[in-house]
Amino acid sequence: MTLSISEIILITVILLLGIGFYGLLAVRNLIKVIVSLQIMVKGMMLGFVLAGRLAGNVSLGQSLAILVIVVDTIVAIIGLALAVQIRRYAGSLDVKALTTLKR
Amino acid sequence: MNANTALIWLIAIPLAAAPIIYLAGRLSVRASTNGRSAVSAWLATLTLLSTGYPLYFVGKAVLAGSPVKLAVQAVQLRMDGIGLLLALVVLLLGLLVVLFSTAYMSGNEGEEKYYALLIAMIGSIIGLGCAADLFNLWVWFEAMAITSYMLVAFYITQPASLEAGFKYLVQSAAGSVFVLLGIVLVFSQTGTLDLLEIRNAVQSPNPLLLAAGAAFLIGFGVKSALAPMHTWLPDAHSQAPSGISAMLSGIVIEAGLVAMLRALGSISGASSSWGGLLLGFGAVNMLVGNLMALRQTQVKRLLAYSSISHMGYILLGLGIAIAFNIANGAAGAFFHLFTHALMKGLAFLAAGALLYTLHIARDDHGPLMLDDLNGASKRYPLAAFTLSIAVLALGGLPPLAGFMSKWQIFVAGAQTQNTWVIVLVIFAALNSVLSLGYYAPLVSRMYRKTPSPIVESGEPAPQTIVFPLLLLALGVVLLGFAPAWMNWLTGPAASSLLAAFGG
Amino acid sequence: MAPTLILLIIGVPWAGALLIWWIGDTRSHLQHTLAVLFSLAAAVASILLIPFAQSGTALTLPVGGVFGDFTFVADGMGIFLAAIAAIIGCFAVIFSVNYMHGEAQLGRYYALVLFFIGAMAGLVLASSLLLMFFFWEITALCSYALIAFNNDDPKAVYGGIKALLMTQLGGIGLLVGAILAYSNLGSYDLNLFIKNSGSLPAGALAVAAFGFLIAAAAKSAQFPFQTWLPDAMEAPTPISALIHAATMVNAGVYLLARFYPAFESVPGWKITVVIVGVITALLAGMMALVSNDLKRVLAYSTVSQLGYMVYAIGAGGIFASQFHLLSHSIFKALLFLAAGAVIHSIGTRDMRLMGALGRQMPVTRTVFVIGALALAGIPILNGFWSKELILEAGLLHGPVWAYAIMVFTAGLTALYTFRCVWMVFYGKARSSLHGHDAGIMMKFALIPLAFGALTTWILAGPFSHLLETSLPFHEIEAATTMRFIQEVISAPATLVALGAIALGLAAWWQRENLASLTRAFQGIGKAAEKSFGFEAINTAVTTAFEQGAETLRNTQTGLLSWNILGILAGLIIVLAILAAGG
Repeated sequence: MTLSISEIILITVILLLGIGFYGLLAVRNLIKVIVSLQIMVKGMMLGFVLAGRLAGNVSLGQSLAILVIVVDTIVAIIGLALAVQIRRYAGSLDVKALTTLKR
Repeated sequence: MNANTALIWLIAIPLAAAPIIYLAGRLSVRASTNGRSAVSAWLATLTLLSTGYPLYFVGKAVLAGSPVKLAVQAVQLRMDGIGLLLALVVLLLGLLVVLFSTAYMSGNEGEEKYYALLIAMIGSIIGLGCAADLFNLWVWFEAMAITSYMLVAFYITQPASLEAGFKYLVQSAAGSVFVLLGIVLVFSQTGTLDLLEIRNAVQSPNPLLLAAGAAFLIGFGVKSALAPMHTWLPDAHSQAPSGISAMLSGIVIEAGLVAMLRALGSISGASSSWGGLLLGFGAVNMLVGNLMALRQTQVKRLLAYSSISHMGYILLGLGIAIAFNIANGAAGAFFHLFTHALMKGLAFLAAGALLYTLHIARDDHGPLMLDDLNGASKRYPLAAFTLSIAVLALGGLPPLAGFMSKWQIFVAGAQTQNTWVIVLVIFAALNSVLSLGYYAPLVSRMYRKTPSPIVESGEPAPQTIVFPLLLLALGVVLLGFAPAWMNWLTGPAASSLLAAFGG
Repeated sequence: MAPTLILLIIGVPWAGALLIWWIGDTRSHLQHTLAVLFSLAAAVASILLIPFAQSGTALTLPVGGVFGDFTFVADGMGIFLAAIAAIIGCFAVIFSVNYMHGEAQLGRYYALVLFFIGAMAGLVLASSLLLMFFFWEITALCSYALIAFNNDDPKAVYGGIKALLMTQLGGIGLLVGAILAYSNLGSYDLNLFIKNSGSLPAGALAVAAFGFLIAAAAKSAQFPFQTWLPDAMEAPTPISALIHAATMVNAGVYLLARFYPAFESVPGWKITVVIVGVITALLAGMMALVSNDLKRVLAYSTVSQLGYMVYAIGAGGIFASQFHLLSHSIFKALLFLAAGAVIHSIGTRDMRLMGALGRQMPVTRTVFVIGALALAGIPILNGFWSKELILEAGLLHGPVWAYAIMVFTAGLTALYTFRCVWMVFYGKARSSLHGHDAGIMMKFALIPLAFGALTTWILAGPFSHLLETSLPFHEIEAATTMRFIQEVISAPATLVALGAIALGLAAWWQRENLASLTRAFQGIGKAAEKSFGFEAINTAVTTAFEQGAETLRNTQTGLLSWNILGILAGLIIVLAILAAGG
């Protein structure tokens, strides 16, 4: 059985999304949480490329993917900066330590 | 001024002013001897006032029914009734918040960043209101989100506010991935991103478009705090500086909702269940918000949960409008959006005034507890009075604005002549009664004759903090007596919504 | 002229409220004076309005859109209730000058009282359903704020919030009825609604009819909402007299009477109204008999008398109910204010600590006894005539079993009234408390009211004429006062009722000899003391909500992964619904 290029990309996208979401649910380190988020977004970038290909508008799809990279990098930077501050002032990078606000 | 030119200015002024405010503020702080400077605050006020000028021309054109649009390369911007409402509310609330913050944030490290980010957030919300293609919508949405992450975690040395900011960021970013997923699905099916073109292309049900709709609901739903995606909200709203809490509650979560409506409207041809889904989320939101607020002991957390329940009322009105094509539902929802911005803005600012005088002015970053409010009317008569007005209005008591906007939504529910919707209206009314179960004790507390020790020793509140409270309270009372004053704004917004959903 | 007067009756007290709140608590003398002046002005305006009674819309304030027009109508029913609100409001304010002397936060007190007077007048003069609901809720708000006036006392706060929540709960019925009427008729005008009620779908009309009944029951503390009124007695006594005896609690009766022509034909509505009235009158009468708190006895008796009015409406006796409303407002305001003078002077509400106070406060005793005789239905006081009219209407148009219970309750009323008078003013002193007679301003309020209790029955003729000419849908027959007197005297029902009242009196006289009988009814007395289990229901509901809320709070774990799981759950639910519904 041979897969077409679109199908391969599609499977990759779904895998990346799934891995990233599983990561959000499972990992305990704040840095890894940000990494999981990044994995999901990377999946979506591929998704834009794929959608451009399917819709017959490859250039638009790819340019959107690049824009997603730009915006998402900012989010990642802020997330990591917050993680650094949390490590500094709360003394831990563990998600479970991050539960002072509840109820 | 030409309306299309005015639209450029409307968006450009705040976005261009944000870095200037930062630079000027930074320089003047460096130049000053005591490390504080009011330059950034005044520049921010000036920016918002001057943004009002182009808004006037844009608004005139939109209300006259002529199209206001702008194309910068591939980026399409179109202003309509909903965008106008959003722009007006955000400018109004933003101006009062900036005024309020002059004393509240004075002397904080990074004060200039606060104003720069706030102005940038306001600019992105205005942009979000007139985005005409899906991707553009997402970019404005992210810009708003990014600025709000930084504002929530503004106290970067306080573990609690860092925690709230981090959770907000992760949940919001996860939601944003779903939005992207929705865009990818729509793009792959229709080959276009323009909202109008998508709507014309989507005429029949298609499983992938349904999945895209679900992704939009969830993605934007995280931002607009639909239960069960609401969990970030109480943390973020209670930990942010009070001015930001007012902005978040009054307009940011509603902006998320507007983005959701735009995206769903474009694929409204794919399914007829969107209205029903909104009604369902509305009912759950009302109950969850009220029950969670019922036993809270922190004032700002209580108000945050009440925002969740008020989102439910807005959803109820929108759901009625979309499912049954009733303009009053949308007009009521947008009216409630407006009054909620006033009421919740007032509630958070008044609570903030007390938080400032009782805690922050003494370098204490602890939360404002309900017990701290005991007898607050004795030393802070205006803050206590306006907070009472705000919460009673939120509870839907006349002669205050919240009563009238809820009434309009309920009338729309009766106009459907549908038994289930009328049952839902009764459920909503019961929720209003339930909400008085936590608002009324809060008011009673403030009018005790023996104040709590912390109130007894409090300093008087600064004038600039009290002034915005009075303005908002006046608005809340006046709209309670003359609810039709906002029809010029809510009517066009409602017809824009119905048009977007093909009504 | 009428539009100006309507605006004055509502606007003058509200302007006064703002002014008194604004001048601040440091100038309490000025506050007292201004409050009296503004309430007096409102009372004068309300009396001047009486000659302008007419059935058409008197004043229209255009609002537009879905809010319709804010319209007012100055017909007999509205005007007379507005006059009661303004006049008794004026007496309550005059009484407060002595009663509230030296209290803190006077500004809040008077502002709320005046705000209430304006709102109450607005409620009965409004002819738009929206506007009516608007004022309806304002009166509830004022009632809450005044019950909880002494916010330091947890019991007062509890009572206030309970009153607010229960009346709001019932208010939903009015809300639903109003929006259904609007969505079917396209207008909030209540005369239009009454006229065209037949054109509504039967289901919608029935929902509106029973919705209005629920709203009225909650507002007038009728079964099954009767529990809030006794707890509302934590309010300062002038407030109890004004809001919880003479005006706001009548709003429910007013609502039923006003919309009677529209709902008359709804199957089961009239008999439900009769049942609500009968059960309330009987249960509250029994509770009044066992209570030892002076204000609570009066509160229970208010509930019971309101039951009479509701019963009269169910039996079609609109005029009788409104006439009893008039009598009751006067003698119950009198009783409450006199009780206030007692409480103010000796500082307790417990009747077991009173006794023999009559010698120390003769004026208060005299007016209280006049009020009590009117309440018991002794000829020739105003309560006698109106109660007889109600019983007569009940006998003619209502079921016989209901009539029998109401006659029995009339006897019960006499019994608990004499018990109360005796425990407070006569017998032996049961404690060393020393009373002084009412202050000068108190007397200013008490004596005119006592005079009213003796004489307002003379107004029966003009009053019926006023209602007949200005209410086109109610089919009220006007007659002269002499005609009413003859009717009451010649009716056999009168003798039966008088016999019951005499029996009640005799039962109090012979209480020592009836001790064995009392023991037999001990079970009922115990149940009455526990308010027949309704309080337990309230507590259970509150506890259920609080525990539910506390349990739900556990879902906010603060754990990030859990929050993300919420997103996943939302996604699955939405996808499932979409997959099911397409």
